[in-house]
Amino acid sequence: MTSLDTQTSGRHPGARPETGAPETGGPEPARTVPVWDPLVRLIHWSLALSILINSAFTDEESRLHEWVGYVALGLVAVRLLWGLIGTKPARFTAFPPSPARALHHVFAMLKGDRSVHLSHNPLGALMVYNIWATVAALGATGYMMTTVTFFGMEWVEELHEAAFGWLMFSVALHVAGVFFDTWRSGVPLVRAMIDGRKRVPEGRPVE
Amino acid sequence: MFSRLMPVLTQERRAATLAVIILFQALCALFFIGDVIVDLQGGDGLVELHLAIEACVALGLVAGVVFLMVELRILIQRVASMETGLRAARGEMAQLVDHFFDQWGLTPSERDVALMILKGIENDAIAEMRGTAPGTVRAQCAKIYAKAQVDGRSQLLSVFLEELFAQGMEQFEKAAA
Repeated sequence: MTSLDTQTSGRHPGARPETGAPETGGPEPARTVPVWDPLVRLIHWSLALSILINSAFTDEESRLHEWVGYVALGLVAVRLLWGLIGTKPARFTAFPPSPARALHHVFAMLKGDRSVHLSHNPLGALMVYNIWATVAALGATGYMMTTVTFFGMEWVEELHEAAFGWLMFSVALHVAGVFFDTWRSGVPLVRAMIDGRKRVPEGRPVE
Repeated sequence: MFSRLMPVLTQERRAATLAVIILFQALCALFFIGDVIVDLQGGDGLVELHLAIEACVALGLVAGVVFLMVELRILIQRVASMETGLRAARGEMAQLVDHFFDQWGLTPSERDVALMILKGIENDAIAEMRGTAPGTVRAQCAKIYAKAQVDGRSQLLSVFLEELFAQGMEQFEKAAA
């Protein structure tokens, strides 16, 4: 019974369904679309947690800091593999790293475009690749500091520090972007990363 | 039709479990790969057998991860197509309900009440939701049953159930022919 309920509740029950909608299967009121699979969500929140732990709680010199860093590196590696063979919205082909598309998206937004992207929007896609690359750089420089060859070399440490600063900036921008796009597209994006479903408001064009 | 909701839920739980195992196993695989690389840099003759075994373990884990990832993708696709089927069934049901209400010539308020009856809402609750007296709802129910030529709640429901089964049989026969 729940299936019938979800479709009509909130509107006056028993009112005739909008004519045309059921036959064509076209725009239904506030559709929910499954987008993020459990692996994507698990990796996303694990990565967020490991970034939080290593930036705020672990001692930089500690073994724990190292291992949390390796886990973060591993998470990115698994996500990259999933980007090749995973579900459709998780694959790289769904969100290619294209500055041209991102720019086009910015201009479209300035003109009041409110369309919904089922995967990452073109700007969000750039941020995703940026964060992965930054985490990879942090992991690489972090590992280098533990090796005999690079131990105590100042430039490695400086690079690690710079990457960390860039990551913090990126995370802040990422969170701001999520809230901005939630407002712009009307899709609660944080919720989508929790239960995997994007709730697309009525009558929004979907890309 | 409604019991088909259950598999979707259990399938989703399976997908989530699979995702946890994939991630855990992938991290294990990466640990072994990293260990092999570090050991290789050491370059000790004695540990060559140990190294080979570790490499095999890593390979096995990676193969497992890739296989499970493909399985997970298939599982998620299946859940998605099941949901589409459910939505279609739901859409058809709404059409069917509409069609019958038209045929019976129900007034707008009777349609509201009839739909609530189909959803299994009690008369008192209907009255409360519609802000009318329970007596009004009872009268509306009586009119609905009369127009539909049924004896009561359960018979009204069975009109739609019957239609659902009949349609299913038709499709089955069409497929068989």
